[in-house]
Amino acid sequence: MNALMPVLVLSTSLVPALVIFFLQERQQRARTVINLAGALAKLALVVVMLERVARDVHYETRLTLLPGLDLLLRVDALSLLFLTLSAFLWLLTTVYAISYLGNGPHLSRFFGFFSLCVAATTGIALAGNLITFFIFYELLTLSTWPLVVHRGDRPSIAAGGRYLAYTLAGGAVLLVGIVWLESLTGPLLFAVRGSLAGVDPATLQVIFWVLIGGLGVKTALVPLHSWLPAAMVAPAPVSALLHAVAVVKAGAFGILRIVYDVYGLELVHALSLGLPLAALASLTIIYGSFRALQQSDIKRRLAFSTVSQVSYIVLGASIHGPAATIGALAHLVHQGLMKITLFFCAGALAERLQIHKVEDLDGIGRTMPWTATAFSIGALGMIGVPPIAGFISKWYLGVGGVEAGQPWVVLVLVGSSLLNAAYFLPLVYRAWFVPASRDAAPGRERPLWLIAPAIVTAIASVAVGALAGLAFSPLGWSTLIFEHEYSR
Amino acid sequence: MMDAGRLLLVLALAAPLAMALSVPLVARPLRLLPWAAVPGLVATLLAPGGALIELPILLLGLSLQLDRIGAVFLGFGSLLWLLAGAYARAYLARTERAGSFSVFWLLTLAGTLGTFVAADAVTFYASFSLLSLAAYGLVIHDRTTGARRAGRVYIVLAVFGEATLLAALVLAATGADSLLLADLQAALAASPWRDTALAGLLIAFGIKAGLVPLHVWLPLAHPEAPTPASAVLSGVIVKAGIIGLMRFLPMDGSVPVWGDVLIVLGLVTAYYGVVAGLVQTEAKAILAYSTLSQMGLVVTALGSGLGEPDVARALDAAALYASHEGMAKGALFLSVGIVAARDARLLRPVLAVTAVLALAIAGLPLSGGALAKLAIKAPLGEGTAALLVTLSAAGTAMLMLRFLWVLAYRGRRDADAVPAGRLVMPWTGLVLATLAVPWVLFPQLSGQPLAYAVSLGNLWAALWPILVALAAAMVALRRLRRFPLTVPPGDLVVLVEALVRRLVAGLATLFAQEAVAHRHSPKARPSDLFDAVERSLQRWPVSGPALFVVAVLLGVALGI
Repeated sequence: MNALMPVLVLSTSLVPALVIFFLQERQQRARTVINLAGALAKLALVVVMLERVARDVHYETRLTLLPGLDLLLRVDALSLLFLTLSAFLWLLTTVYAISYLGNGPHLSRFFGFFSLCVAATTGIALAGNLITFFIFYELLTLSTWPLVVHRGDRPSIAAGGRYLAYTLAGGAVLLVGIVWLESLTGPLLFAVRGSLAGVDPATLQVIFWVLIGGLGVKTALVPLHSWLPAAMVAPAPVSALLHAVAVVKAGAFGILRIVYDVYGLELVHALSLGLPLAALASLTIIYGSFRALQQSDIKRRLAFSTVSQVSYIVLGASIHGPAATIGALAHLVHQGLMKITLFFCAGALAERLQIHKVEDLDGIGRTMPWTATAFSIGALGMIGVPPIAGFISKWYLGVGGVEAGQPWVVLVLVGSSLLNAAYFLPLVYRAWFVPASRDAAPGRERPLWLIAPAIVTAIASVAVGALAGLAFSPLGWSTLIFEHEYSR
Repeated sequence: MMDAGRLLLVLALAAPLAMALSVPLVARPLRLLPWAAVPGLVATLLAPGGALIELPILLLGLSLQLDRIGAVFLGFGSLLWLLAGAYARAYLARTERAGSFSVFWLLTLAGTLGTFVAADAVTFYASFSLLSLAAYGLVIHDRTTGARRAGRVYIVLAVFGEATLLAALVLAATGADSLLLADLQAALAASPWRDTALAGLLIAFGIKAGLVPLHVWLPLAHPEAPTPASAVLSGVIVKAGIIGLMRFLPMDGSVPVWGDVLIVLGLVTAYYGVVAGLVQTEAKAILAYSTLSQMGLVVTALGSGLGEPDVARALDAAALYASHEGMAKGALFLSVGIVAARDARLLRPVLAVTAVLALAIAGLPLSGGALAKLAIKAPLGEGTAALLVTLSAAGTAMLMLRFLWVLAYRGRRDADAVPAGRLVMPWTGLVLATLAVPWVLFPQLSGQPLAYAVSLGNLWAALWPILVALAAAMVALRRLRRFPLTVPPGDLVVLVEALVRRLVAGLATLFAQEAVAHRHSPKARPSDLFDAVERSLQRWPVSGPALFVVAVLLGVALGI
């Protein structure tokens, strides 16, 4: 059973993907049933595994591809953190996508690649060594491209081309780094630490930056971030998935694996790699927020906000201390929940009221109150208002920075919060305190299936912050990860 | 498990929050307003003092505690919110946005009471944020241009204060054993980041309490809000800044420099409030400046207490002063609404009572204000600070006389005013409380018997500043046609706004010129510059190799 579980989890999204590809366009009900069944099955398996892994049970599946090249799927606490987020948000995004796309064209193709994308994300979460990670990482690129260009018009194809160029290049750089590293040390397992002991420090430093460079494309580190705002032409469910769950998180997760499991925090700091990485993350945080201020398109503003917020995770990872580590791990989940809320709402506004620009947000508090409330919760969470999740991460990152002797981290966080307020509060203001400029009849929020996912994630964002003291909250789980794995 | 007393304390915060969530479901939400403060009042009277209530699953560990200072603030705060809520029910009966007002009122109430009973840093911060953000809805309720502008100034300062407070709390929390306020306070004195954290706390709480020069939002926001909201803004919400100072500043005499800073800032604010208030032409603006001035005096008392061995006495005295001032100021604001109706029967009695209350703030003998002023004399000692505080009473009295004059003779009859009859009951309740409660609290909070308060010497000490002010007022009435100078409410902010406008216009012209030079579209903005940079980065179809080279170079450089 222990060996079967990872394969089972993977197949709950792989099998639906394969089946859906062969469904006819008009078999909508079958498609919906398969999608939701797969999502629910995955969620159920995740819940089972959460309880077991908390008791230090480990699941592992090994498949030898070539001598010395294993496909290793392993469930540890860190992979479960990412997996839980993916499973939960995949279910909601599926509901949202079904409602958003309605009776559009090429739905079988869309949902096929959708499920494949989630399968790839699951594989990234479960990867137990660098090669497995890389395989699923590239699979993610290839399965998200059809989603980006789904609409098939000129801007989508162009954005898709740019996306592919960036991510394939990043993947190539990542492969170079992995091959270089493993040629020096032999196959590297995430579970085994200390394997880099014999290697020359200077080489290790270079390899580190190569790996970060490869992963940095998906993580949207400056200056490799430009694909993200361009990819906003994709349909809203795709943007939601890309930003909260799949692509950007995969990059950040990869950086976490490199820093914590491949190199180890002590080695990273012994090689003086922490400070430059923290500086790069801080630059991304501030630059992303500045660029967000300048956008008048809502989705582009949210895209730059993602660029900024995901680097909190990288910042936390590069600071040597328990609080910073816990903050980084928790923010993986927190940012996902808040950002997906914002994208769900942006998509709903575009779909129901054709709102794409900031100026058109006037008065939506009256015409679409549930959507506006969910959006406000997401926005306030990004700014760091307690008890919404974002505050918890910021607190831990700040305390971690000061504890590690890097008090400038607090300045970065404060500056980022002020910038976040500067570009989010006007949106909230327009929604609630400015009368609507157009006459829009109420009742725009029916049917509710498009709005409900946003409401669920908004409530979740508040709940994981307000109930952060629970053992199974993201904060609790991150503390567990730290205690089990990294506090030696 | 939680006994009834502790449950009351949790209920004091939970009830308004629950009511706020239920507003969309209720037909007449304004009716909820007075009831929301009842649990808080009951908790003050019945909850056991001193016991710590901990709810570890909430936030980062929610802790509540009702100590003596907290009880004073919770008590007078709940009372004022209750009576102002009853007043609001009648005053805003005809407003369009009753639901919106109710939500923001209830959330602000929850946040304010939260700051009074919070026992750990995160709970305090959460309450403080809630109160700051929700109060925006109160300020901007009327949606007039003036209200929107006041809201803008308010929110900018409030958000800046929030961010500063977060930074200060993070610095203070590192190095403390736990997040409990008592631990933070103890650890702060020895912390290496002490001065930075204290500066941050002072800025954040100074914004809330209205210390010069961070006060500019106060005289704008308090008049623009609807009258019952002004009453709680001036009466209770600014006191959240005061209690913040009390809870976080190290009270063991280890930071005498900061004590002096507080004294200076407090005195400057006290006199600035009087001077700027005297030249105002609107009754509510004068009251707002008076709040400024009074909070300055409270901060002076706190600052002088910082260096004293008997700090608890200074804190108690400041609490007494703040509670009396809050209730009196609340009642004065409410009376502005009553007088605006110009009801023939009620006008004179209400004006008379208002005059008593106004002078009570200045320390009218036998009023609660006199007791409060007497209480804060002890920690101030005998030096220059004490003298300036005593003199300021004359200034306050002059300010109050100006207020009364503007209220009686300059008030326009408001055609839409709510009939005064329905507003009088809550107002009367508040007046009675303001007159009576300080007498009850005085012995416990000042350590002196009541006989001390009514001794002839102290009565005279309270009386002479008022006589001076009356004399000055007579002279002014005879000699001055109109004031030689008018200062708009918000004083400094007008300069800042003009500066910002020049800056933005300058930047726009600058970039427009660059755009013309580079043949960009006529409406070029700074973002076009960045877009161009990013586009050039994208012109290399693969910037991956570029980064690869950079990464290698960086790695090599760092390795050296």
